[in-house]
Amino acid sequence: MTRVTDQSSYRRRRFIAGALGLGAFGAFSALRYGDSVSVANETDQDSTSKSDGDILLFEDTGERLTTKHAATHYNNAYEFGWDKTDPYQKSGGFELKPWQVTFDGLCAKPGTFDLDDLMGMPFSHLEERVYDFRCVEAWSMAIPYNGRPLRDILQVVEPLGSARYVAFTSVLRPEQMPGQASAFSTLDWPYVEALTIEEAMHPLTFATFGVYGDQTLPQNGMPFRVTVPWKYGFKSPKFIVRMTFTETRPEATWHLENPREYGWYSNVYPDISHPRWSQATERRIWSEGEVERIPSRLYNGYTNEVAHLYPGDRQQYR
Amino acid sequence: MIRTLVHLTLAVPPFVLGLAWQRQALGVDPQKALILESGIWTFNLLLLVLALPLAARWAGWPQLLRYRRAVGLWVFAYATAHFTFFLSFYLGWDIARLAEEIAERPYVLLGFAAWLVLMLLASTSTRRAIRWLGRNWKRLHTGVYLVLAFASVHYLLMIRSEWAWPVSYAVIALVLLVVRLRRVVRPQG
Repeated sequence: MTRVTDQSSYRRRRFIAGALGLGAFGAFSALRYGDSVSVANETDQDSTSKSDGDILLFEDTGERLTTKHAATHYNNAYEFGWDKTDPYQKSGGFELKPWQVTFDGLCAKPGTFDLDDLMGMPFSHLEERVYDFRCVEAWSMAIPYNGRPLRDILQVVEPLGSARYVAFTSVLRPEQMPGQASAFSTLDWPYVEALTIEEAMHPLTFATFGVYGDQTLPQNGMPFRVTVPWKYGFKSPKFIVRMTFTETRPEATWHLENPREYGWYSNVYPDISHPRWSQATERRIWSEGEVERIPSRLYNGYTNEVAHLYPGDRQQYR
Repeated sequence: MIRTLVHLTLAVPPFVLGLAWQRQALGVDPQKALILESGIWTFNLLLLVLALPLAARWAGWPQLLRYRRAVGLWVFAYATAHFTFFLSFYLGWDIARLAEEIAERPYVLLGFAAWLVLMLLASTSTRRAIRWLGRNWKRLHTGVYLVLAFASVHYLLMIRSEWAWPVSYAVIALVLLVVRLRRVVRPQG
């Protein structure tokens, strides 16, 4: 049983097929490149220049830094979206002030503190430290952080002897953070992360109030984050509003999402196979377009300082 | 004439990408952008190659089929670029690392397998090979659906939390596969 289609309806169908093809191409382009085109038109007003010194050195030590432009235009902050450009593109409406952090759980002096109290000194007096930010996606950047050791803050609220972990909760503001409102994301908000109390009290663990001397960069987790330099980047929570001392091990957002790929400890272990990204080498991003492949280091280079925290088989601390 | 136009059109995406690369317009991490863009465009062309016969039949437009081989060869070219970027940027041409990646990471295995099949299809696309293979040529080249399946899962495995893009592509691939299977079951339908 064959139905004969006449010539005119074939002509119509050709037209429809062509239109569908063009429509698919147009929809694809708009969805995939629409954002970047609109951003490219605005780049001129950007405060950081792409070529802010092709080689940037840290004044104190002379070591090389990633340029501020690169470190502020290529970020993971799923609160703003999954794309690396979402955090700077979509954080314009994020309110940095006022900011308060609540301390609760197993501590003698729980309470809520303003950001200035946590800093305990003028921003310009804070210590500046260069850490290699090592993402689990196997790229890294050398970034100057402004802050103070987290332990100095934690000691004020006097954690109890029974406190074995610290849980960090990030801010929940779907109206200012489009990634939190996304229908296509499977992450649970707000973001939570956690450290053991020994990790949190380690002098390298850095309460961070700015990067590059700049407090106004939500794409880098400001106004308040914690930086843990020997772990993959997602273990350094951003936009923190709560710290809770617990006896049992708290949940962590990425670990909940996929425990095989995001270990609870997530120390930088270049020799342990990772199901998604080989961790043997990393791509060091120095500036826009300048990427260098370098070997990764055990504990991101801090073996002497932190290896004692992880006795026994390292597999359990991945 | 039209064939030249087809080739020119399909050369546009790599040309634009190359130009953007050369003009440093691919953002902070151009390596990653090149890998992602070459991958998605390989998939786009793969869908096009499989949609051509459908359009040809539905709209009575057999001329479209003449350009299927040209598009198919471009799929292989795009896939090769994608693979080359991965080898160069992520592995630094360390072939031992490649073996490790294939053994340990299913998405690399699937991508590599898809590329191998595409290479087989491309290398049997000369006129001589077509004549030599005879009826087997057609059978061999239904392997493009294998590539489609590998590519879909390869992309699905990329999902970390945002699933819209990979799932959309997998759904389109599935529709193409179902349409094709229905034709196998009811050849005149």
